[in-house]
Amino acid sequence: MYGWIWRHLPGNAWVRAVISLVLVLAVVYVLFQYVFPWAEPLLPFNDVTVDGQ
Amino acid sequence: MRVLVRTFSELCITVGALIVLFVVYVLYWTGVRADSAMDGQLDELRDRWARDSVDDAPTTDGPPDEPLPYKDGKAFAVMYIPRFGFTWNKPVLQGTGTDVLKKGLGHYASTARLGQKGNFAVAGHRRTYGDPFKDVPELRPNDPVILTDGTTWFTYRVDRRPYRTLPDDVGVIDPVPRGSGFDGPGRYLTLTTCEPEWGHSHRLIVWARLDATQPVEAGKPAALRR
Repeated sequence: MYGWIWRHLPGNAWVRAVISLVLVLAVVYVLFQYVFPWAEPLLPFNDVTVDGQ
Repeated sequence: MRVLVRTFSELCITVGALIVLFVVYVLYWTGVRADSAMDGQLDELRDRWARDSVDDAPTTDGPPDEPLPYKDGKAFAVMYIPRFGFTWNKPVLQGTGTDVLKKGLGHYASTARLGQKGNFAVAGHRRTYGDPFKDVPELRPNDPVILTDGTTWFTYRVDRRPYRTLPDDVGVIDPVPRGSGFDGPGRYLTLTTCEPEWGHSHRLIVWARLDATQPVEAGKPAALRR
């Protein structure tokens, strides 16, 4: 999987390394901004009320 | 075969990295975001109070103003609990929805207004989102819980040690809270949060009764002075 991505990136090893880093940061950003905020309420830490809201 | 094994191990590493990232998000990042959101709410509130106190001065004729209803999702008070540390102060917002509790403490919309007859009930996160109510189990009888709405300081005093109950025990936020030992109508305060610390099987409740009020012009209440 990662080998496949690496082989399909353009440029020499340095360029590929930089692009990989940018890709990793982009994935982390999407996770923190969109995916985790959606998943977090599924955990029990939000249940602090007594009327089930 | 080799490709299969390699892909499988890459997937496992990816899932592991995802879980670590999620833990970082829940334990650390929600706190960073909540702290900045709460600071923003406090700034907004203090700005509004500063403006209001300038506007209000000359209007003396006519009957005294009926207090405006609290706006959903908006901050209207600041809570101080010296037991949680001298710098501990959090905004109180109207409503107890998930989004509201990310920005501060939440006032149960169905309960009394701050300082009024009945029960002023407030919910807050015990863990994650800045851990505002992390130390609720440390509260002891007679500990002050101080609130201000910009015009008045309200000093409540904790009545008894934190009380553990079930998540559907709505009676604890009744005007005369069930299980509190209060025997008649009064001006009460209820704090609710989750119990155990990282779970949701129970709720932890703290009750307090109004002890004193003073206008903000009179300065901070004694319990807040060092």
